[in-house]
Amino acid sequence: MIWKIITFLLLTFVSIAGITFPIVENPTAWYQFPIIPGLEEKAKIIFFHVPTAWITVVAFLMSTVYSVKYLRKKNLEDDIKSYAAAQLGIIFCLLATVTGAVWAKFNWGTYWNWDPRQTSIFALLLIYGAWFALRSSIESEEKRASLSAVYSIIAFVTVPFFVFIMPRIMTGLHPGSANDTNAGPVINFKMDPHMRLVFFLSLAGFSMLYYWMWQLGYKSMIIKDKLNQKYY
Amino acid sequence: MEQFLSNNSIYIVLIIVLIVWFGIFTYMLNLDKRLKNIEKNMSVGDKNE
Repeated sequence: MIWKIITFLLLTFVSIAGITFPIVENPTAWYQFPIIPGLEEKAKIIFFHVPTAWITVVAFLMSTVYSVKYLRKKNLEDDIKSYAAAQLGIIFCLLATVTGAVWAKFNWGTYWNWDPRQTSIFALLLIYGAWFALRSSIESEEKRASLSAVYSIIAFVTVPFFVFIMPRIMTGLHPGSANDTNAGPVINFKMDPHMRLVFFLSLAGFSMLYYWMWQLGYKSMIIKDKLNQKYY
Repeated sequence: MEQFLSNNSIYIVLIIVLIVWFGIFTYMLNLDKRLKNIEKNMSVGDKNE
């Protein structure tokens, strides 16, 4: 219960900080963020958009971990956990795509222009979209579980490449591309420490929220399965 | 107050976001409680069989 309250407080703080903390030229207090040329006020998207992309990766990773578990132990609950994780993964992936597109309209001029980052997330959506199509096309529970487990493992191989590598080695408009000299990828800690604090709190808050949603998701699916076995 | 909010409309955004977040959080807490109850009832039912 305590961690749920912490999630609540974290995300409440992140909303307040991410939306209202001012962006000024020379930040002096901890609640002020510096101007990043080319991004200005729009830099605040980092507190909400990047965590959704982060959750996508975490969710797909968890889906793969439970797929491996399923293949080793053949326990259908692991398949359900993997499915619940992937469901959230694709929801957050869509959220990252949509929030990114809205931001792009005001920073780049169009909603969609096949920037390397946009292309790679689109490919990711297709890869995992196919996973759900595969699942819904097989009726036998065991067969569906093992086939989708194998597919999930293969699909995850592409995730680090599409999310962390490809958009960074190619030139593009998205912050953190190869030709970006301003913001830089978050991963190399060039980020302003005040911004980084709120950003990491946001990552933590979103991760905990995801974990909670995942629990609710797989628990309800397991209950549904048990009821099905009982009455049918 | 009204004048302040119309000059700094970002706070209106903040209020809306917070209301939405409080709503989602309360909904999730309720859902959590309901699921726990169902789980408890089901395990009691299993033992009685």
